[in-house]
Order: sequence, then structure tokens, then C-alpha cells
Amino acid sequence: MADPITIENLGKTYPGGNVALREVSLDVEPGSFLVLLGPSGSGKTTMLRCLAGIERVSSGRITIGRQVVADGRRHVPPDQRDLSMVFQDYALWPHLSARDNVAFALRRRNLSRPQCRSRALEMLDRVGLHALAERYPNELSGGEQQRVALARALIADTGLILCDEPLSNLDADLRERMRVEISALVREAAATTVYITHDQAEAFALADKVGVLEKGRLVQAATPEQIYTRPATPFVARFTGLAGEIAVRIRGHQPDGMLLVEPVLGGGAINEFSAGLPDGPTGTFRARAPLEAVSGDAALMMIRPTGVRLIQDGSAEYHLSGRVSDVAFRGRGYEHAIDLDGSTRLTGVFAGFRVARGEIVGLRLDPAGCHLFPAEPIAAAQQESERAVAGGTRN
Amino acid sequence: MPLFWLLLAAFILAPCACFLLLAVAPALFSQGSQWFTLTYLHQALTGATAVAIVNSLWVSSAAALVGIAIGFPIAWLVARTTLPGRRVIPGAMWLVLLLPSWLPALGWERIVQPDGVMYRLGLDWPWVTHLIMGPFGVVLLLGLRCVPFSYLAISAAMAGLGQEFEDAARVHGASRLQAMRLIIPILAPAIWSALAIGFAESISDFGVAATLAYSSNFPLATYQLYAAIGNFPPSFPLAAGMAWLLVAAVAIPLALQARALRGRSYAVLSGRTRQAVRRELRGWGAILATGGVALFFVIALGVPGFGAVSGSLLADYGGSFSLTLANYHALFAQTNLAAAAGGGLLSPLERSLVYGMVTATITVIGGFIAARLLSKRRTKATGALDFLLLASVALPGVVFGAGYIFAYNLPVMSRIGVNLYQTVWLLIIAYTASSLPTNARVLVGAVSQLQPSLKDAARAHGAGAITAWARGVLPVVSRPIVMAWLFTFCGVFLELPLSQLLYQPGSPPASIAIEDNLSTYHFGVGMAQSVLAVAFALAAVGVVLGGYRLLAPAGWRRIGGTVRG
Repeated sequence: MADPITIENLGKTYPGGNVALREVSLDVEPGSFLVLLGPSGSGKTTMLRCLAGIERVSSGRITIGRQVVADGRRHVPPDQRDLSMVFQDYALWPHLSARDNVAFALRRRNLSRPQCRSRALEMLDRVGLHALAERYPNELSGGEQQRVALARALIADTGLILCDEPLSNLDADLRERMRVEISALVREAAATTVYITHDQAEAFALADKVGVLEKGRLVQAATPEQIYTRPATPFVARFTGLAGEIAVRIRGHQPDGMLLVEPVLGGGAINEFSAGLPDGPTGTFRARAPLEAVSGDAALMMIRPTGVRLIQDGSAEYHLSGRVSDVAFRGRGYEHAIDLDGSTRLTGVFAGFRVARGEIVGLRLDPAGCHLFPAEPIAAAQQESERAVAGGTRN
Repeated sequence: MPLFWLLLAAFILAPCACFLLLAVAPALFSQGSQWFTLTYLHQALTGATAVAIVNSLWVSSAAALVGIAIGFPIAWLVARTTLPGRRVIPGAMWLVLLLPSWLPALGWERIVQPDGVMYRLGLDWPWVTHLIMGPFGVVLLLGLRCVPFSYLAISAAMAGLGQEFEDAARVHGASRLQAMRLIIPILAPAIWSALAIGFAESISDFGVAATLAYSSNFPLATYQLYAAIGNFPPSFPLAAGMAWLLVAAVAIPLALQARALRGRSYAVLSGRTRQAVRRELRGWGAILATGGVALFFVIALGVPGFGAVSGSLLADYGGSFSLTLANYHALFAQTNLAAAAGGGLLSPLERSLVYGMVTATITVIGGFIAARLLSKRRTKATGALDFLLLASVALPGVVFGAGYIFAYNLPVMSRIGVNLYQTVWLLIIAYTASSLPTNARVLVGAVSQLQPSLKDAARAHGAGAITAWARGVLPVVSRPIVMAWLFTFCGVFLELPLSQLLYQPGSPPASIAIEDNLSTYHFGVGMAQSVLAVAFALAAVGVVLGGYRLLAPAGWRRIGGTVRG
């Protein structure tokens, strides 16, 4: 029932020369849930629209099931691809009731009108909207509209369901509830699902496989765990959540494959910030590295929020020290922002206790959450970091 | 503000209310002995007036349908395809809209009437004459006038109709045609309002009724109403009875529209609406679409334009097609003669120019005040104003004019010292009062977008009330104000029904002078005057728009302008 998808060297250039997709290749297992993750302008929407057949591909090939639906010459129109889609704005036809919106997707199944309508009612029942079947979209709340859109996508039992940022218009609480519903319903339908989002938490929560897109290129496609623990590029690391990044120098190789590194912080920051602690920082620490490096090389270390622990009063060995510049209560505990020197700041450093602003603290790094990449020119890295953060937090 | 309400009551509410009341209570105004009667309404529903009403009803319905049948595809082609020349279509539509209906009617008439341009060119086609000089021609001309309304209504709706509704239909199994059939009903509000406006415009039209329909012996209600007052002896109560029927007829499509759309929302705009994709027109599709759109403009503008220009260059009663400027010379001689005979220093064209400018200026000021009131928090007073203005938009011009004649000719008016009847002031007041409702509607959109903080910010930073308005508010609404001014100017410059009923004897405005020439068989001179009138109007529009472009600060022009992508 579920369709596998094969995407080979997909390229899309819009009239006017804007290149939206470059040489994207990807396989999606039948029945699996693929999330395409990327900031605005990364090409994820274009890719979804190419899959739907709403956009024509410029080069490459898309195969859904056994059918080649698009290549340089061929373009199978959307209505002949036997798929369904949940739109960002839901795209519910305002002049049709919830039931008729859902029933519309059954037309291609050549059922009688009464059959369509009764199956639409059943589907609405599954999404908890049986009582609201005769309402028009404007008489439904945002969450209810979302459910109708979901029902419309599920009713025809298509082998492929596409979801275009379907949660982006909902508030935080409803988003979480709808995420769970979408996950449960599409898995129940056993269809292959391609879902796009710019929210990494949503992506990790939903996906069997995440494809990260950057400027039209697929930079990594892997399980959420692999993306988080082994980001392929600094962009992937930044876009999937960092406490911060610091410049380091390689000091040696460890037998377990880790590298020993030493921070390069400006202005004697470590000594200055360690003044309030009984012992100084250890000076070197270990990090995971996908790169071949030799001792003495400069590198950039990216630290996940889970890769740093706050040590107060020198109660345990620590690798770095800094001054608390902000603290925020998050229910389960506290998140601290810590200045390491004038220009380096770590954010989201979690602790079960609160440390007051201005206090000096130690930071213990977990090698599993510290990722090394070749050093980049600072300005470019900073820009990219800001872009990734902006894309990742926009909802 | 009380003065504004007083003026509205005196110049919009009172004349129309008195006139309508006259039909059922003529004794109130010493026009008969009955204090309540339905005789005149009954009279209006019998004999020649009944025929005219029935004619008006079916012709207006047909015209509204013609308008949507042509306007919808053009709007669709402009919004959704790469139709060649689509950028000039909105401007051309405005031209069709701004031309008074009697001008194309005269142009067509001049072409097809016996001894017209068509016969002079050697085309002996009496069937064309019969076709145009009859119900078909009337429906065609009124229908062509409805096209811009349909086009504007549908275009506005399509601008908000994002691509996703069509995409959603396609991915859920609909073919291109099925998707189109699915989304057309989303445009129902626009289609209904286009039909309602088209019907209301057609049934209240006087220009075609007084020219082509009259020449074709095809009576329409507005002309019958005019005749009831203009013939001897005049019957104001009968005219008032017909006015009731006209007003009721205008209410029919509005009621149907309200019924069809009741309780439904067709809201399609959201912050994330994806702009619709233009379909590339190729081959036969491109040829057919371009040809069809071009044909519309040829029929709506080209043929009557050719009729008017060629008619102005042909000698009257001549058998040949030799061109001459004699009509233009005769026109200037006529003007000089009229001036010498005490008709004033102004020619009819100059007079209309002055009337248009004065009216447009007063109307824009009044319209702005009304728009401010309408955009404020809704109270009973603003609700009443809204209703009054809406009802006035639907009121046919000829009813308005008849109301003015009747109300300002009442003996009580001279007793209280108001002697406006048969003065140019009454004509200008009537022009203003009839233009104000539309003008206020045009401005209310822009005015309701004004943030009070714009003016407050200027005041808080040290500007006086007038400076704050001029610096903080005027720049934001300057473009809509200029557009509303031009809209009113064009409407008044060649206005017919009010001018016909209310012009000061001896000082005819352009439309009346043209009508006079035509009715006295000076076809060539009348056409020359029409051509010059349109040239004057276009020149005035050009001067105002050019002046705004040159003189308004760059920042003013940016607001509401379009950005080239």
C-alpha cells in the first residue's frame, strides 16, 4: 500500500534564475516518516511541491512506487500521482462543509456520493469532529480546521501523504497535541509520509528519518538520533540546537577516537572568570570529531545543550569557567546563559538549581555533546549561526 | 459636525424622501387631494410605464449577465495567465467605466443609423441597424458597461484567492477543469456583487435610455420617469410612483445577494496566502484569449470611438465619405453665437470643466468627512449615515434629479428664502449630493486604515492640529484623495440625467449641448463636441495625475503605490 520514493539528482530553478534545489538525492522507505528540515529558503517547500506535482522539476527524477512521476521531460500532473497533502493554511474550500471538504478527496475512488459522504463522516469521527461535520471552515477553530485537513488527507488511503508545515499556524499547546495526533493517525494509515518543518523539535519528535536542507542542498539525511549526535556539518549542528560554539586548538588524539582540545578564548578569560573558584579549569577536554586533524590545528567546537553541565563552587572537576549573564526558570529547572569571554556565550546551560546573575561558575563538558569542525572564518560562521537560529526559532 | 448632518439632511435625505412620499401622499405637497393613495403606484404599473418597467427589468438582468460573462473571463485571464497586454487592461477598463453610457450609445447610433457612417462607407446592412437599434443593442451597450464592474469585483476577489485552493484540489485528485469548477464558487460573493451592481447600474442608467433606446422606440423606465416630469402637463406623483418601482427593483438583486451569501464566509486571505501562479498561454489558447479581449475593447471603445470621430469628420446629410473639419468650425461658431446671445462667456465644455472641478473638490472634502465618520466606532448616527449613503448609491440619478426639482420648486422654499431652483447652484449641489455616497465609499477604505497614532505622533512631537493633519495624515491618503477627485470629476463632467433635469436655462453643460445638437439633427457638430469633451476629460485626468507625480513629495507617492518586483 505505502509507496517508496526515490529522488535522484533533483534540481529546480525558478524563472528568473532562482535556484531552489540542487542535486538532491534521497530514498524514502515505504511506510516511513520523513521530515525535511531547514530554514526559510532552504528549498524544503519546493521539494514537497515537486513531489506533489504542483511544481515541475528542472532536472533529476522522482519515482513514487514504480512510477517515474517527474524527470526532465515527463511531468505526471498532481491528480494522477495518487497522493494527498495537508497544507500550511489547510486550504479548506470555504464554500464546502467539513464533510464535503473531506469527501472531495474520495472522488477519485469512483464511489457513489452517499458512500463518499458516509466515509467522510467516519473519517471525521476518527479525528473527533463527527459533530461538526456540517460546519463550514470559518465556523471551526484553527485546530478543528487542521483536523479536517488531516481527515481529507487520510480518507483516500493514498500511499503517500505530504505535509507542508501543518502546525506552523497553531499556538504552542495545540501544536503539541496536533503533533501527537498527526503522528498517530498517519502511522495508523501506514502511508509513506513526507513532512516539512523548520522546527527541529517537531522534526525530531515525528521523524523516522530527517533530511536537513541548506540552500537547496540536502546536507544530511539520517535518523533524528544520528543527526543530533553526529551532525554532518556546522550548519546541521547549529540548526538542530546548540548551547554555543568556541574556538579550540587540537592537542592530541585519544585511543577511543576522541580528540583532546584546548579552548582559545580571548583576553585571558579563563583565569579571570576562574577567580572565584577554588581550583582552576583543567585546560583541555575531549570532543567528538568527524574530521581528520593533526595536533596544533585550529577547530570550532560546537556544544549541544546536553553537552555542558554547570559546576558550582568547584564541587567537581570542570573544563571551562564563566560568568552567569542570565538565568531563566523553565519549570524542570533553570537555564543559564554564561559568558566565557567578551565574545563567547553559552546559552541554555541547564541546572536543577539557580545561579544568580554575575556569579562565576565552572562548566563541565561531555564529549558526546561536543562536536569539532574545521575552523571557519569568524564573520561567515557568525552570520550562518544567526541565520540558523532565526530559522530554527521562527514558528 | 452638526452642519455636516444638516447638509446631508437638506441635500440628500429631504429631496428624495419628499419625492418618494409624494407618490403616496400627494396632498402633503398640494399635488392632489389624497392624503394616502396607491393610485400613482398602480398607474406606474399599467400602460406604457409598465412596459417600460418590464423592459428595464429584463434588459438590466440580461445586461448584468452579459457583464459577468465577459468580465469574469477577462479578470481570470489577467490574474491567472500570461495574457499579452494584460498590464494595460485595468486602465482600459477604467476608461470604459468612466465614459458616460450615452457616449458609446451615440457612437454606435452614429455608425448604424440610416445615413450613418456604415452606410456612407457603402455597407448597406439594414439588419445591423435593426439589431443595434433595438433591445439587442440596448442589452449589448448596457452589458458592456457592466463589464468593468464585473472585472473589478472578480479581480479583487481573485487577488486574494491564493494558489493553495487549486493545488489542494489537484493533489486530491481533481483535474485542471474540475479544480476550476471547485474554486469558482469561492468567488460567489464577487459574482453576486458584480451581478447586483450590474443590474442596479443598468436599471438606473439614463444615458442609453435617453439615446439609443429612445431612438429605437424601446422605452425604459428611467426615460419614462423623465418624460413624466418633462412632458406637459408634468405629473410628479406618477414620476414618484415610478421612482418607487425603480428603487424596489434595485433592491431585488441586493436581497438575492444577501440571501445567497447568508451565514457563509468566503474569507480566503491569510498572511500566508501563496500567490497564484500564472499559466503560460501558448498557441491557439493565446490567440483566442487575446482576440477575445481585444474584441471586447473594440466593441466597447473602438467602434463607438470610431463612430464619434468619423461622425465628427463627416458633413451632415452628405452622401459621401469625404472628411471635413466643418463640424469643428461650426461648433466654435455656435459657441461664439451663444456667447453673443448672452449665454455667458463659457462654452458648454468649459462650463462642464468648471462644474466638474468645483463639484469634485467639494465632494472630496465631504466624502472625506463622511469616510472618517464611517470608519469610526459604530454608533446609531454612523449606522444611519452608512444606510443613507448606501441607499443613495442605489438611487437612480434621474430619481435624485426629480427629487431636487420637486423639493426645491415647492412654494415653501421661496417662502423661507431658498431660491435655488433653476440656478447653477442647485445643479452643483445635486452633482455633489449624488457623487458624495460613492466618493465616501471610495475613501472609506483608505481612511479606515489610518492609524490615529499618525496624527497623535505629530501632535506629540510639537505640531499644531493643521500641521499634524497635513504632515501625518494627508500624505497617507493623498493618492486615494486624488483618485476620488478624478473619479468624481469624470462622473460629473459628462453627467446626463441631473444635468438634463436641473441645468440653468441658457447655460447648458457639455452633455446637454451635445444632446441639443443631436436632437436638432446637427449630428456632425454633436459628435465633434463629444470628441472634444472626451479629449478635455482625458487631458484633465492627465494633468492631475501628471501634476501629482511631479509635485507630490516622493514619500507621498510611495504609499499605496505598487513596487516593481
